[in-house]
Amino acid sequence: MDNDLQTQTMKRVQAILAEALQVPPDEISPQLAFGDLPQWDSMGHMEVIMRLEESFGIEVNADTIAGLTSVLVICSYLEEQGYVR
Amino acid sequence: MSAEILEIVSTLPIPEYLSGEVQSKLAYVDEAILQAQVTPGGERIRLSLAAAPDSEQRSRLEDKVQRVVASMVKGAIKLKVQVLEDHLDRPVPYALDPMEALLARKEVNPEAVGIFAVGPLLSRLIQFFEGLFLELADSFDAAPYRFPTLIPARYLERVNYFRAFPHSLSFVTHLRTDLDAIDHFAQHAACDEHGLNEPLTSFAGIETLLSPAVCYHLYFALADQPLPGGQVVATAVGTCFRYEAINLTSLERLWNFTMREVIFVGAKDFVLQSREIARQRMAAVFEKIGLAYRVESANDPFFIGEFRKQAAFQSAFQLKFEIRARLPFKESTLAVGSYNYHQDFFGRQLNITLPDGSPAHTGCVAFGLERMAFAFLAQYGLEPSGWPEFVRQALA
Repeated sequence: MDNDLQTQTMKRVQAILAEALQVPPDEISPQLAFGDLPQWDSMGHMEVIMRLEESFGIEVNADTIAGLTSVLVICSYLEEQGYVR
Repeated sequence: MSAEILEIVSTLPIPEYLSGEVQSKLAYVDEAILQAQVTPGGERIRLSLAAAPDSEQRSRLEDKVQRVVASMVKGAIKLKVQVLEDHLDRPVPYALDPMEALLARKEVNPEAVGIFAVGPLLSRLIQFFEGLFLELADSFDAAPYRFPTLIPARYLERVNYFRAFPHSLSFVTHLRTDLDAIDHFAQHAACDEHGLNEPLTSFAGIETLLSPAVCYHLYFALADQPLPGGQVVATAVGTCFRYEAINLTSLERLWNFTMREVIFVGAKDFVLQSREIARQRMAAVFEKIGLAYRVESANDPFFIGEFRKQAAFQSAFQLKFEIRARLPFKESTLAVGSYNYHQDFFGRQLNITLPDGSPAHTGCVAFGLERMAFAFLAQYGLEPSGWPEFVRQALA
């Protein structure tokens, strides 16, 4: 996967998380993980999952929800599953 | 008087895996509802009503029902049930509803909906199970606590309880400290079919509720300070209150019930390992008493606004496992206890910190004493001669 696409995916995921967690986009660093912000709690996490589903037109199964706990992991998951092209 | 039936076609089909959850929430839709049922296939909702609704009432009922369904079904994530233990096929000799015999023998006295006094047989059984749960607590060297039945409203607010479980709250008040109000009450108070006839203005504002759980009291005792020694194991038994409207039935679902909890506070690994050790130790105990049961993943009964997200989160992160005992008389199961992990939710909300400054993790194992006794009687009957030797000897 080329670097441009990775950068685009990262930016898109950061924007989705900022909206889902209702924080300024600059607070969503690539290293940010579940629990690092008070807003990224259980409810925040499910908001993130639902916004990802809507934005990418995907369905995240229950097994995967618990794994998507950082910005980097979310980007990797989307790329590995072929959800970004 | 026969009930009026109102059938509503759901705008969204209710998937089978959500049918029970939706049905339980329909109990809170309107006071006119005596019974609510999602029909097989999930396309209709059948309400039993005390009286035939006029067109305005009907429209209001339909609107509220559709709101419940939409909130729970739209975008729902199918939860995967994980089974940790399955002993449902353990042979048990009894197949009748023990409630009928308990009522006939005056072993239970229904005082009001969801409120029962229990007699000697159930009390002895409950005491016996309490002993087993206390042995579990002792095996962790758990410190004993006694917690109040009341809990301040501001405590529950701080842990977001009002948003998650508004439907099950039980509020406490008292007469205003006002001579006129007290005199008026003393002279005029009487009960009718709706309860006390006193105007609400006689009562003080609500600062206190009846406690819905035992472990919260420990977390508040530990709040806003570093965790002593970096970890705590505690145990307590307490009366808990969860209002469940028309879902309150027999000893299966009480408004007023008793829970024994063993509570773990500390680092993530400590809490998760302790929860797992507790499960394994209880598996041996349940084998000795011959209980037919299964341990499976579950979710708390969040109210509709929070249900979809919170339930999916609990399931995905495997935060809650219920001990579900078999009820042979209805070929169903009943949750008699649970193994819970809250991650660092209470640590963060209540500022309970580990030595490294990070928020503490918490978990608890909880047993419903009345339900435990009821499930045992549902499997073995009321005659001690039919009980497993281990139980019979302990109660001899």
